[in-house]
Amino acid sequence: MSDWEPKIVSFLCNWCSYGAADLAGVGRMQYPPNIRVVRIPCTGRMSPKFALAALREGADGVWVSG
Amino acid sequence: MGIEPGRLHFSWVSSAEATKFVDVVKKVTSEVKALGPNKQFVKKKG
Amino acid sequence: MDVYNSGLVQRKAIYVEYAQAVPLKYCIDPENCIYLTRGKCGNCAKVCPAGAIDYEQKEKELTLNVGSIVLAPGFKSFDPSKLDFYNYASHKNVVTALEFERILSASGPTMGHLARVSDKKEPKKIAWFQCVGSRDVNKCDNAYCSSVCCMYAIKEAAIAKEHAGNDLDCAIFYMDIRTHGKDFERYYDNAKDKGVRFVNSRIHSVLPVFGTDDLEVRYVDEAGKLITEVFDMIVLSTGFETPPEVVKLANDLDIDLTVGNFAKTSAFDPVATSREGIYICGSIAGPRDIPQSVVDSSAAASDAGEILSSARNSLTTVKEVVPETPVVGDPPKIGVFVCKCGINIAGVVDVEAVRDYAASLPYVEYVGDNLYSCSQDTQDAMADIIKSKNLNRVVVAACTPKTHEPLFQETLIGSGLNKYLFEMANIRNQDSWVHKNNPELATQKAMDLVRMAVSKVALMEPLEEAELEINQEALVIGGGIAGLTSSQSLAGQGYNVHLVEKSDVLGGQALNIYKTASGEYVQENLTALINKVESNEKIKVYLETEIVSTDGFVGNFRSILSTGGEEKNIEYGVSIVATGASALEPDEYNYKSDERVLTSLELDRRFINNDPELSKINSAAFIQCVGSREPDRPYCSRVCCTHSIENALELKKLNPEMNIYILYRDIRTFGEREYLYKQARQEGVIFIKYSVDNKPEVINRDGRLIINIVDHVLRLPVEIEVDLLTLATAILPPNNKKIAGFYKVPVNDDGMFVEKHAKLGPSEFATDGVFLCGLAHYPKPIEESVAQGKAAASRAITLLAKKKTNTIGTIAKIFSMNCSSCGVCISICPYSAPSYIEEGPFTGKAQINPVLCKGCGLCVASCRSGAINLKGFDNDQIFAQIYALKEAV
Ligand SMILES: Cc1cc2nc3c(=O)[nH]c(=O)nc-3n(C[C@H](O)[C@H](O)[C@H](O)COP(=O)(O)OP(=O)(O)OC[C@H]3O[C@@H](n4cnc5c(N)ncnc54)[C@H](O)[C@@H]3O)c2cc1C
Ligand code: SF4
Ligand code: SF4
Repeated sequence: MSDWEPKIVSFLCNWCSYGAADLAGVGRMQYPPNIRVVRIPCTGRMSPKFALAALREGADGVWVSG
Repeated sequence: MGIEPGRLHFSWVSSAEATKFVDVVKKVTSEVKALGPNKQFVKKKG
Repeated sequence: MDVYNSGLVQRKAIYVEYAQAVPLKYCIDPENCIYLTRGKCGNCAKVCPAGAIDYEQKEKELTLNVGSIVLAPGFKSFDPSKLDFYNYASHKNVVTALEFERILSASGPTMGHLARVSDKKEPKKIAWFQCVGSRDVNKCDNAYCSSVCCMYAIKEAAIAKEHAGNDLDCAIFYMDIRTHGKDFERYYDNAKDKGVRFVNSRIHSVLPVFGTDDLEVRYVDEAGKLITEVFDMIVLSTGFETPPEVVKLANDLDIDLTVGNFAKTSAFDPVATSREGIYICGSIAGPRDIPQSVVDSSAAASDAGEILSSARNSLTTVKEVVPETPVVGDPPKIGVFVCKCGINIAGVVDVEAVRDYAASLPYVEYVGDNLYSCSQDTQDAMADIIKSKNLNRVVVAACTPKTHEPLFQETLIGSGLNKYLFEMANIRNQDSWVHKNNPELATQKAMDLVRMAVSKVALMEPLEEAELEINQEALVIGGGIAGLTSSQSLAGQGYNVHLVEKSDVLGGQALNIYKTASGEYVQENLTALINKVESNEKIKVYLETEIVSTDGFVGNFRSILSTGGEEKNIEYGVSIVATGASALEPDEYNYKSDERVLTSLELDRRFINNDPELSKINSAAFIQCVGSREPDRPYCSRVCCTHSIENALELKKLNPEMNIYILYRDIRTFGEREYLYKQARQEGVIFIKYSVDNKPEVINRDGRLIINIVDHVLRLPVEIEVDLLTLATAILPPNNKKIAGFYKVPVNDDGMFVEKHAKLGPSEFATDGVFLCGLAHYPKPIEESVAQGKAAASRAITLLAKKKTNTIGTIAKIFSMNCSSCGVCISICPYSAPSYIEEGPFTGKAQINPVLCKGCGLCVASCRSGAINLKGFDNDQIFAQIYALKEAV
């Protein structure tokens, strides 16, 4: 179990969290490599269907960030 | 439907808050990790 | 030595200047390269796979033929090694503020970890010394105030406390705290609340503590006691200086400089030098912060453009348009380019493995890797590949779409592909840079991201962008000096202007002001400007007029104006808000009950009218910060310190024997205004400091006007009898809500408009096509209002000059067949893009105006009938990315 790495689908708003993620890169801040980012134009675009689909398709977690 | 708490996360991070972004990534990752693999929802392979 | 990191660390002889450098390219330091200095090594030429090393590059001289010149040579930070009593040169833990910035920065030598230089110990006590190399003619020759150092010191102290925790003791030693910028006073108040100490004292010596790396500081505190404190680190808040090579350049160009070596300008022409056709911006115009430098630069662009407007577009080349290849109906043929970004990506992610993996994905026809995908030659090569392989979809796995998507989209357009047939995988900013220690998982993540991008791009369709004509007329709201200047600049560049003024005269607040800080008479210059505007046939002035309503959007606004009840419709492409502000009417210090108590503007009026009574006065006082910097108005009005000092000097001119007192909290004569402060002290004006919780008291004792004040320095009560008391009242914004509503622009807690970006976008709003200048932005003196008036015009012209704009392609679309007419989208859209169709077969169903839609997708998620689609971020496309994750690598 200790080797197991979760996969987390992240829906990030292009104008907010996606920008913060880019900036974290510019600052070379280090964080765990488990998130897979889907860029969305705004959290308004988010639908519960996406979160459910991700979990159904085997994601271990879903993170929506505006 | 019962998604386990801790599988689904929401947050608000402005484009200038890189540090906060990293903090949330770490928190989300460790909480999901603590739950173990997601078995409940996965489509049965078949 | 790494110059960018202020010499705190070493850099190699071949280097990138700093991580955000544009272009992000290496260069050779000729002074330290052993090949160039001694003919040995040459290693870099051998290892560079791109063959980019050329040791033969030499300085080249080019001759350019130009119509105007803009000088922006900047400043040099004062070098404190000349002041030996600070021990800067001899002690590692005495650093300049610029060095401290690098220590705090995440990209600096300590990766943002707060550590002192000598032993990397985390400091527990840090002191800042203000005015190092500024406001000082004894130890250096810089009599001016550098304007920005108070604010940066407070910022550094606050950030240091954030990094190191609240136990860190930060002390700022100052003469006056000058936080006269927008929102700065609030920041100062917050820093005090967070425990940053402010000590009103100038320090004259610093001694190393024997046997440690600490430093001992001696000073006299506000109560007059001699105090000794030991600090771990000392930061010198060094000021601005115009470097000698810039002074030489100015001399060569034959432009006049001030005594402080800044370019000499007039308040009414603030970016023009003494030589016609040469303009300036930034700190060559005087010490200033980023927003003001940005304002100046737009103003200089406007001035430089105005004299050239007849030649505009005479030397431009028109870009060739490549016809778009139709792709609808064809199966996807995807090209995947994986970028190494030098070693930025390849140093962590196994780029070759990612490339080979991409080749195994469905519909991928071509894969390749690039050293630097964004370089011009790679762009050309990519275009060739797209054409020769007949690719119809492209994925670039590289830095981030936020900065580079437009560039790659241009390449697609150049290859005849619609720019929306493209997707980026972010494998640098969100992968290699943040998972440095985990190359394996980073490579796996890159593969996942590429697979997601490939799945999405396969479903992308060509999208159309609507082209909009931009109406070539402008509306300027407010006929004060800022609005007048904007109108004049716009007309000067050939645009028609509607200038709307609510009162019955042009001129605004400037009508009340006697002289500028530079000593120029305001009324003469203002009248000249008004005459120019009134006689300009491109400017239509509407007096006693207000806007009743506004609709439309960038390029196509419509407003109804009302002049004395008579309405008129106008159409225009851009709008400039210059609605100004006014003086507070005080209700303290006996203002309403004693006619010897005036406001600053009332005193100016007497000067303008040459009132003979003024010279008969024996004793006069000024009270500063009346209504400013108080809990319910926590901002500095910026102009009043200079204004009162100017007026004190004018009174001295009328009667040199007059006793004059200025009761102040901090004197904020920023920049070269400091000379006036010095002159006033020399001429005997008495400055008495008071604190906000112990304000002066004004009483009428048997008809005598008496002021009681506790001298903050002497801690003694003082009684002053005067014949005239002037109150330096706050500058108050008008009620801006109506205008804010018309253009959907924000207003802050102080009632002032909020610009697009506090530093980089001071003269425009976040709403496209709406601009801002003058007091409507923040209190400022005339020269700054004039500069911003030009700046707003300049920003507006960049839009007008395009003549057409494109809407975005990634917008929402409603399938009327599925729409149930519930109206949720109409009520939810923040941009009012959806509406009901009013005629035809689908009457009553919703539709979306592609011009207003910003593509946020709110309506898509809210539509219960599933009738709305967001092009480019379709359900299918997002699901494709989610499904793509399932496949294990
Ligand atoms: C108390 C005080 C002291 C000052 N002292 C100095 C000084 O010593 N030195 C110095 O250089 N500067 C000083 N200034 C600043 C100087 O006055 C300004 O920088 C300059 O005059 C501002 O010009 P403006 O066009 O931005 O605003 P304003 O002069 O306020 O002009 C705005 C105009 O817009 C009009 N308006 C407002 N709302 C609307 C609307 N909805 N529709 C149509 N029209 C509208 C107003 O009637 C007004 O004519 C002082 C300002 C004040 C208030
Ligand atoms: S008073 Fe002026 S020179 Fe002195 S530190 Fe403050 S801003 Fe700089
Ligand atoms: S008098 Fe005016 S400029 Fe001086 S500190 Fe007070 S508010 Fe600021």
